[in-house]
Amino acid sequence: MHLARVIAELRNQDALKTQFLANISHDLRTPLTAIITHAEIMRDGILGELTDRQAESITGIISGGRQLLDMVGEILTYARGAANQLTLARTEFTVESVVEQVAVMSDSLVGRKEHALSVDVAPELPSVYADREKIAHVLANLLGNAIDFTPPGGRVWIAARLSRDARAPAAVEIEVGDTGIGIAPEHYDLVFREFAQVDASASRQHHGTGLGLAIARKFVELHHGQIWVESKLGEGSRFFFTVPLRAAP
Amino acid sequence: MASHVLVVEDSALLTNALRLLLEVTGHRVSVAATVRDAVSTARTTRPDVMLLDVTLQQEDGLDVLRELERTGDAPRISVALTGHDSPEVHERCLAAGCRDVLVKPVSGAELSARIDAWLQE
Repeated sequence: MHLARVIAELRNQDALKTQFLANISHDLRTPLTAIITHAEIMRDGILGELTDRQAESITGIISGGRQLLDMVGEILTYARGAANQLTLARTEFTVESVVEQVAVMSDSLVGRKEHALSVDVAPELPSVYADREKIAHVLANLLGNAIDFTPPGGRVWIAARLSRDARAPAAVEIEVGDTGIGIAPEHYDLVFREFAQVDASASRQHHGTGLGLAIARKFVELHHGQIWVESKLGEGSRFFFTVPLRAAP
Repeated sequence: MASHVLVVEDSALLTNALRLLLEVTGHRVSVAATVRDAVSTARTTRPDVMLLDVTLQQEDGLDVLRELERTGDAPRISVALTGHDSPEVHERCLAAGCRDVLVKPVSGAELSARIDAWLQE
């Protein structure tokens, strides 16, 4: 009897904290936006010409600010997801077009680490009725991780095919694989959990809210799809997710 | 091209940045932070361009445009400013009568170029 009340109270507190996280991350954007706008006004020479060193310093403020803004945006998305405030804006599109878009966006990252990126989309894959922006976000996140956690010269690939899982509704299965550092089997679940980082030192080198895969999981689950990983430590990882062709009734 | 721009935004930090940018690039700037203030400023000062923050404190910024449209007082060009560019937000802004939707932070050079382009249309 008491326990039920304690659980209800804890749930309530958790919801309040999530709402606080959503509010604060929303409010953080305004001053950050002001900082970036001021810095860009200076960078663009609107207030007068800058020396090379001044321009370099201002550019540092802008890229630091934009990185912070991305992280705050990630926290906001996570908090909205946890508070069930995310909705899907569905349209009909081909997975191939999203794969192409994300691969092109990641081109410079791939080039910098001399990775070989290959793309293999099965021919005549049916289109899906889903939230294109969110599916692109999931794919970009997985590809970004694959690039981050794969040493220079490694292989990174994207593949898309019709799911062979006969028990689930018809879906497209997308795979992002790499020949990177890999994940131990006991950590397969951990990587999809919010704020969890298997190897803090490795993630810290990159943008590190630790929310990327938790958000990806949320986006996939909103579509009633599935996301999972198969990996071998030291050999590489293969992340998979499915996008049902149609919205669940 | 010099013009009169009304900035509707509830954060003084952002208003100051936009005012600086617009004034240096030769525009006259008015500001308003609430729907009520924005509607009355627009009716009395007749701006050429209105930059409209979609989320004001507890208020829907698009209500400013809806109210001005209702009485035929809408500025020639109204443009939405938003922190989050989702298809829903985009559609809502265009449906309310906005010419365009800009995602914050808006680059100074881009904003001033866009204002010039809108005014020449």
